Amino acid sequence: MSSILVYVATQDGKIKRSSLEVLSYCKRLSEENGLSLEAAVLDADPARFTDKIASYGPSKIYAVKNPAFSNHLASALLEGLSSLISKINPRLLACASTESVKEVIGALGARHNAGVIPDVASFAIQNGSVNAERPVMSAKVLSKTSSSSDLVLVSVRSGSYDAVESPAETTVETIEFDFETAALKSLLKEVISSAGDKVDLSEAEVVVAAGRGIKDEQGRKLIEDLADSLGAAVGASRAVTESGLFPATLQIGQTGKVVSPQLYFAVGISGAIQHVAGMANSKVIVAINKDADAPIFQYATYGLVGDLFKILPLLTEQIRTYKAS
Amino acid sequence: MKFSVCIKQVPDVSAPLTIKDGNLSQDTDRMVLDAYSASAVEEALVLTDKHGGDVEVVLVGPDKAKETIRKALAMGAATGVHIVVENTSGLDSAAFAEILAAWHKKSDYDVILTGKQSQDTDAGLTGGMLAWKLGLPYAANAVGLTYDEAASAIVVKRQGDSGQEMVELKTPCLVTCSNDMNDPRIPSLKGIMQSKRKKVETVQLSDLGLELDALSGTVSQTQVHGFKEVPGREPGKKFEGDAEELVSNLMNLLENEAKVL
Ligand SMILES: Cc1cc2nc3c(=O)[nH]c(=O)nc-3n(C[C@H](O)[C@H](O)[C@H](O)COP(=O)(O)OP(=O)(O)OC[C@H]3O[C@@H](n4cnc5c(N)ncnc54)[C@H](O)[C@@H]3O)c2cc1C
Ligand SMILES: Nc1ncnc2c1ncn2[C@@H]1O[C@H](COP(=O)(O)O)[C@@H](O)[C@H]1O
Repeated sequence: MSSILVYVATQDGKIKRSSLEVLSYCKRLSEENGLSLEAAVLDADPARFTDKIASYGPSKIYAVKNPAFSNHLASALLEGLSSLISKINPRLLACASTESVKEVIGALGARHNAGVIPDVASFAIQNGSVNAERPVMSAKVLSKTSSSSDLVLVSVRSGSYDAVESPAETTVETIEFDFETAALKSLLKEVISSAGDKVDLSEAEVVVAAGRGIKDEQGRKLIEDLADSLGAAVGASRAVTESGLFPATLQIGQTGKVVSPQLYFAVGISGAIQHVAGMANSKVIVAINKDADAPIFQYATYGLVGDLFKILPLLTEQIRTYKAS
Repeated sequence: MKFSVCIKQVPDVSAPLTIKDGNLSQDTDRMVLDAYSASAVEEALVLTDKHGGDVEVVLVGPDKAKETIRKALAMGAATGVHIVVENTSGLDSAAFAEILAAWHKKSDYDVILTGKQSQDTDAGLTGGMLAWKLGLPYAANAVGLTYDEAASAIVVKRQGDSGQEMVELKTPCLVTCSNDMNDPRIPSLKGIMQSKRKKVETVQLSDLGLELDALSGTVSQTQVHGFKEVPGREPGKKFEGDAEELVSNLMNLLENEAKVL
């Protein structure tokens, strides 16, 4: 009962950056609190990730292996994490707040009678309890939430901590996980991914996000061109995913994804709190809006008041020239 | 088919709010139907219109929350269940899930719907916790639902980490709903009139064999100690002018000041 266990999420053969952020922070937390740090990766072929995980300093890595982990099946993740909890009995299970984690963390908490603090912006261990700050009321304020349960589950918003390597002596335990999909009452029929899913939005270093101001196909093309010139992922406000101009997977905000890129372009986005909830952690924010009073300018590092249809073609051209030089 | 939809009453998050001594205070004490719960109600109404059946809404909350049950009845839900808890301040999602589980153990349903999160706490826990407590298959963050009559199964389109996943759940099952699923209907005048005659069953915690002290003391495993401001961002720079000027300014700043290109 003296360890922090970090679940390291993988997607399409890559470790999620947000998981490494959590692992890095937990390394510090474990040292400060005299706890051991362990990591778990659940994948069809977990061995391919253990070297990279080791460079972030856990004393032990559980490489949990089963083909079911690669096909997005929530019940596989739930069973996998649950059996690890029973085996290791950690003080704290920390993970990045991915969609898969959001789907299972409540059930996992109920099953192990744990305190669950989801989607935190920061957390710490003090006097044996876990204290966290999490955005509430459409991310207008932070609530101070704590739990002193024997087991606490915490999921962390992406961009809350920096990923910093800190290698240590690590052992790897491979677990051939026994999981019978046949016994399940739920069945994954298919995964529909759209062209927009090529770049993982939640991990992207540069995001170009489109709002209602892009109006139509012509505006969409301008957004795609700018994203292409920057090697950026495309995101969107709810107004745009609702209109069908971009797929729902690209929605950023309270209901959609949380992103934390180095550079975020908000193009034709007014800056409703529900949108800002998903992007306020971006390092540099550029807003392009023709309304000088649009709320998005309150968050923008650089705000351009003007017509996106005039600005974007010029900007894309200049970025192309810059990148080529 | 019977849908049981768990609905929550929440403060109007669009109303201005301030923090005083760590406590939240809002300009109004207006309470509304949680937007995610509203989408769950809408979806249940659409599916029962198509396949037959009834929609029941279940709410845990104070007497004042009855108006939110009426709102869902005015949208078209057939019946309401009000589990009365006058002061919910010490309860977290685990406690709400415990109460909702106790209710559902003695009522019948084919499908339970909840919001994928609630608008005030954004926790997103109650649905998964409830599913676990009832031993139901479930899927979270649904953006579309269909019913496969032949298979007695709900087919959920959910927003996953990469792309959308189609998951089939045999009934009875539980689904948590995104507000991206639909636009909840605005109750019509006729709906509002009819809602006044619809049945709302009042249930006390003791009817469910539960006690408030135990729910806040041991079932709730988390406590909220107060609120604080979100750290503000550094004030930025705003430019007006013609497009050429704006773009060359921006390029210069991105390259030389922010150094992010
Ligand atoms: C429970 C709940 C959850 C929500 N979750 C989300 C979420 O996850 N993500 C999200 O984005 N929203 C979410 N919303 C919706 C949110 O409240 C806003 O409605 C939405 O973000 C508005 O999108 P927008 O900024 O693109 O559109 P608008 O608010 O209509 O803004 C369009 C902007 O484009 C500008 N514009 C127009 N033409 C031009 C031009 N030619 N050049 C430059 N600028 C131009 C306008 O000045 C305006 O500021 C949620 C709402 C609720 C109630
Ligand atoms: N007091 C409550 N009464 C009824 N349903 C609730 C209550 N609290 C939460 N729920 C349901 O659970 C969903 C998610 O809640 P949460 O875990 O608080 O984010 C809500 O959208 C509701 O559908």
